[in-house]
Amino acid sequence: MLSYKSRAWTVLMAGLMASLVSLSAQAQAFDYQLAPQQIAPDTWVLQGKMQDFSRRNGGNIVNTGFVVTEQGVVVFDTGPSHRYGKALRTAIAKITDQPIVHVLNSHHHPDHFLGNQAFADTTIWALPGTGQKIAQQGGAFADNMYRLVGDWMRDTDVQLPHKPLEMETLALGSHRFRFYSMTGHSGADLLMLDETTGVLFASDMVFYQRALTTPHTPGLDVWQQDMARIDEIPYRQLVPGHGPIVQDRAATAQMRDYLAWLDTTFKNAAEQGLSMTELMATPLPERFATVRLSRAEFARSVVHLYPRYEDAAF
Amino acid sequence: MAKWMTGTLLAAMLLAASLLSGGAVGAATATEQADPLQSPMWGYTRQIFLGQMPWQFDARVKVSAPPFAEDPTQVPITVDASALGGEIDKVIAWADLNPIQHIFTWFPGDKVKPRVSLRIKVQQATPVRAAVLTRDGVWHVGGVQLEAAGGGCTAPSTGNADPYWESHLGEIASRRFGSEQNSRYRFKVIHPMDTGLVNNIPEFFLEQLELRDSAGAALVKMQLYPPVSENPVFTFDLSNSTGQHQLWLRDNSGNEFEQTL
Repeated sequence: MLSYKSRAWTVLMAGLMASLVSLSAQAQAFDYQLAPQQIAPDTWVLQGKMQDFSRRNGGNIVNTGFVVTEQGVVVFDTGPSHRYGKALRTAIAKITDQPIVHVLNSHHHPDHFLGNQAFADTTIWALPGTGQKIAQQGGAFADNMYRLVGDWMRDTDVQLPHKPLEMETLALGSHRFRFYSMTGHSGADLLMLDETTGVLFASDMVFYQRALTTPHTPGLDVWQQDMARIDEIPYRQLVPGHGPIVQDRAATAQMRDYLAWLDTTFKNAAEQGLSMTELMATPLPERFATVRLSRAEFARSVVHLYPRYEDAAF
Repeated sequence: MAKWMTGTLLAAMLLAASLLSGGAVGAATATEQADPLQSPMWGYTRQIFLGQMPWQFDARVKVSAPPFAEDPTQVPITVDASALGGEIDKVIAWADLNPIQHIFTWFPGDKVKPRVSLRIKVQQATPVRAAVLTRDGVWHVGGVQLEAAGGGCTAPSTGNADPYWESHLGEIASRRFGSEQNSRYRFKVIHPMDTGLVNNIPEFFLEQLELRDSAGAALVKMQLYPPVSENPVFTFDLSNSTGQHQLWLRDNSGNEFEQTL
């Protein structure tokens, strides 16, 4: 009888200990552990994981960056959650005392603007089209992020950009920024070149070693035309929206290669009369098979884009 | 004393529970195959769609779908029973956890391969199943688990926001692929396929589909239900049916649509 009681007690204590341990593990888990990496004078990048959204990564799958000038800090994208935005702000404060003056949202996808709340006291800029899309779809994106990554999203709400970005250049301290407005990835995509350092923040117009996503592309032809424009930009370093930073044209070459392959593959499939599920089973060429998430993103792109190719083939 | 009682009671309950669950599992394996998709609805949907007839899970009935429903209003699926080697009476497809489960009932006929592709709506993550009745009177059941964020059946059709369908209802775009002997038809029909689950939008969907040969004989007969996607796209493969074919459809409002392909 006594041994029975003590066993029950042990089990109870073990359970309590386990839940305490898991609680503290979770508290740690909500730390994004952002570590800015300096890639050029005054210029830092926070590289996200090359994964899909998950409760493990808290949505930190995105590259954000900032430039410290003598007249304040410029931030390019705010990340997937309020927590991320706050962590980004803390990371910046560890590097500089300069105030954050300008924040840019590259486009309306949730991993790029849901950190905006942490920057509400600055000026948040976005292309006019991006502001409209965030106003229309931002709430639904946020809801979906809560579903995908859970408590990492706590207190996250849509903070709209303050001002439509219509300027082409911005001089701040010794830095001169040039803005490019494109549409290939999401319908309104902002790229920022720091002419002083030659760093191009390419937003999700460029993915590298991580498969590109197509839910809101106006068309692969449009994206391909934009890629030709990007290749004319005189950058020395390119920060893709997702994936590692490059000093050469490797990222855009991979993008152009994949976009062209995707377009041709869809056209051929429609001409051969393949159904969506048959097309999804198409083997990927070796050179793309090693790109992260290429299989999953290919299947998503079939759903997003193949109906247009079917219609053209009927 | 009270503590001791609690402990004993707890132990007794645990013992009873383990006996119960062990007993249930034993009974299930003794009489029937366990559902490989472990769906809470399997017992119910089996009864609804297969009744008291003999059935078995059969890997030869392939249901293909992407792992995730990127767009829950347009989820591509393929049902392929060719591995059964003919002698098929009918094929029923359903989604266990849809508010409207039934997707289609199909009578393939001898001049069409038992393989069809189309797009469907899902309301949440669900098994998607196909049951194939062979002429020996046995149902062969295949299926796949589909993950989804949800909302496909209770989202208004895009046609509801865009009056395009009103002036194009029942328009058919089609194309024949492959050789004369072994040809594939793909076609798209403009129709909102409203489920009736959205406020103030009554159900309005294509109910019957027939693909007929030049003599008017039906090669494909299919009954459709609201989970078939808006502006549905179908893929059928014919074998040894040459000449002209005709597609005929009727919706639940009695509109008939006909086109020589």
